[in-house]
Amino acid sequence: MAPKETIICIGCPLGCRVTVIQDKKGNVAGLKGAECKQGQKYVLEELKNPVRTLTATVPTGDEGFPLLPVRTSLSILKTLLKPVMVETARVKVKPPVKAGDVILKNVKRTGADLIATADWPGSTGEG
Amino acid sequence: MASRVDVAVIGAGPAGLAAAIAAREQGAEKVLIIERAEQLGGLLPQCIHNGFGLLYFEQDMTGPEYEKAFIAKAMSLGVETRLETMVIDLDAERGITAVSRKHGYMRFKPGAVVLAMGCRERSRGAVGIPGTRPAGVLTAGTCQRFVNIEGYMPGTRYVVLGSGDIGMIMARRLTLEGAKVEAVVEIMPWPGGLIRNEVQCLHDFGIPLLLESTVTFIHGEERVEGVTVCRVDAERRPVEGTEKSYPCDCLLVSAGLIPENELSRKAGVELDPVTGGPVVDQNRQTSVPGVFAGGNVVQVHDLVDWVSWEAEAAGRAAARFADKGELKAAAGVRVMPGDNIKYVVPHTISGREDVTLHMRVTQPGLKATVKAGGILSKRFRSVRPSEMVVLDLKGEALKEAGLKGELVVDCEMRGGG
Repeated sequence: MAPKETIICIGCPLGCRVTVIQDKKGNVAGLKGAECKQGQKYVLEELKNPVRTLTATVPTGDEGFPLLPVRTSLSILKTLLKPVMVETARVKVKPPVKAGDVILKNVKRTGADLIATADWPGSTGEG
Repeated sequence: MASRVDVAVIGAGPAGLAAAIAAREQGAEKVLIIERAEQLGGLLPQCIHNGFGLLYFEQDMTGPEYEKAFIAKAMSLGVETRLETMVIDLDAERGITAVSRKHGYMRFKPGAVVLAMGCRERSRGAVGIPGTRPAGVLTAGTCQRFVNIEGYMPGTRYVVLGSGDIGMIMARRLTLEGAKVEAVVEIMPWPGGLIRNEVQCLHDFGIPLLLESTVTFIHGEERVEGVTVCRVDAERRPVEGTEKSYPCDCLLVSAGLIPENELSRKAGVELDPVTGGPVVDQNRQTSVPGVFAGGNVVQVHDLVDWVSWEAEAAGRAAARFADKGELKAAAGVRVMPGDNIKYVVPHTISGREDVTLHMRVTQPGLKATVKAGGILSKRFRSVRPSEMVVLDLKGEALKEAGLKGELVVDCEMRGGG
């Protein structure tokens, strides 16, 4: 493990570059550069558990509505963004779909579902 | 148009929807949204990323989700819509001329008008990049539509010019879709978008952000084959000898947004050369009585939540105007941008009621104090031109100050730089 890591806080426009000082075992020994307490909290969380909401689209095969927008129901580890993207290209969906419907349960065992963020009534419905 | 329209809203994006809802809630009976596209929502359907509604709904929503909440509300309130209808003229007496394939030519005079046309992207032509004119040069928003709505990938290897939010969000989106984004190139010494986008769209994927740099040449005959990137000096002129070439098949231009005000001009609405939008009072009434404006047509916001709120103020005031046939201008006091303030909206305030001031700073800095006359001073840990500064002034405090004529807003740096 690298002895030093820099994380930019996204809490405010300041964007503090916070250096995380780790001891030999990889435990956090200190933080340098955070201007506030919330920033320190953010950096520690980001270090332990860097999660993001993934948003993407899945193909529908419907010419009038080729893509259904989707998101993960929870934030997932950022290292899992790409593997989940691969799933979004493979998944088959059938209309009608309503925003909030689950498209894939526990996608890639992230604990998050892939859910639709828009309605897709299909060819019978009026867009 | 047969029946009388109380409030006509031009544009069905987030601003238009919010204005129409607010006008109905304020009591306007017939509220009509006129939209040139075939669906409601403006650009929201293609903004599939999250980050919408954090302030307005206190929820992290995607563009389609945010749009859906507003459309559902507008429909439940009986807001009427005319889609695929283009307003081609607005006169100084609120006369609207519109055309559509289905209804032909229409002329009518609503009780009040809300301008909610939003903004459009600065294109290659507007930023003037030398080189050939091959396929593969497009704005970030056009690319977003291709990728998120139509299902086309316009290229495989990209350079993004400009680090506005849409540019950075597209850099991430394209990377996730399997493309290679070589670099995001920014002419200013600081990124053009929000810090969270810099981190989550660029750093997360190891996409280089080249500050104080610009694209000086586009190569390729039929198709983009690459671009030349140069460092720029303090005057933002390219520095000779710093050229570096980046092979790519697509150049995305994300070089700022311009409020879309052709109709406002036709109506004789006074425009602010700095914001590019109408000069408005506290009610978002423009210089033409009965014509109101809200959202990105007034000033380019960084958050949709503020677009909705601003348009709601315009919609409410438009409903009041339509009801009474007039609305006293809330314009007793002129708000003037002072030190390190680029602009302030609204341009005039009543000096009696609560008001929210939106502004942008000219230079970034640390430990800033933004002062509105002697009435309010607010400290900020840092300010950046890309992040709007918002100041809430209380009517009581304004009245007490007994403002005469103008209120100057300054931004002072307490240290660092």
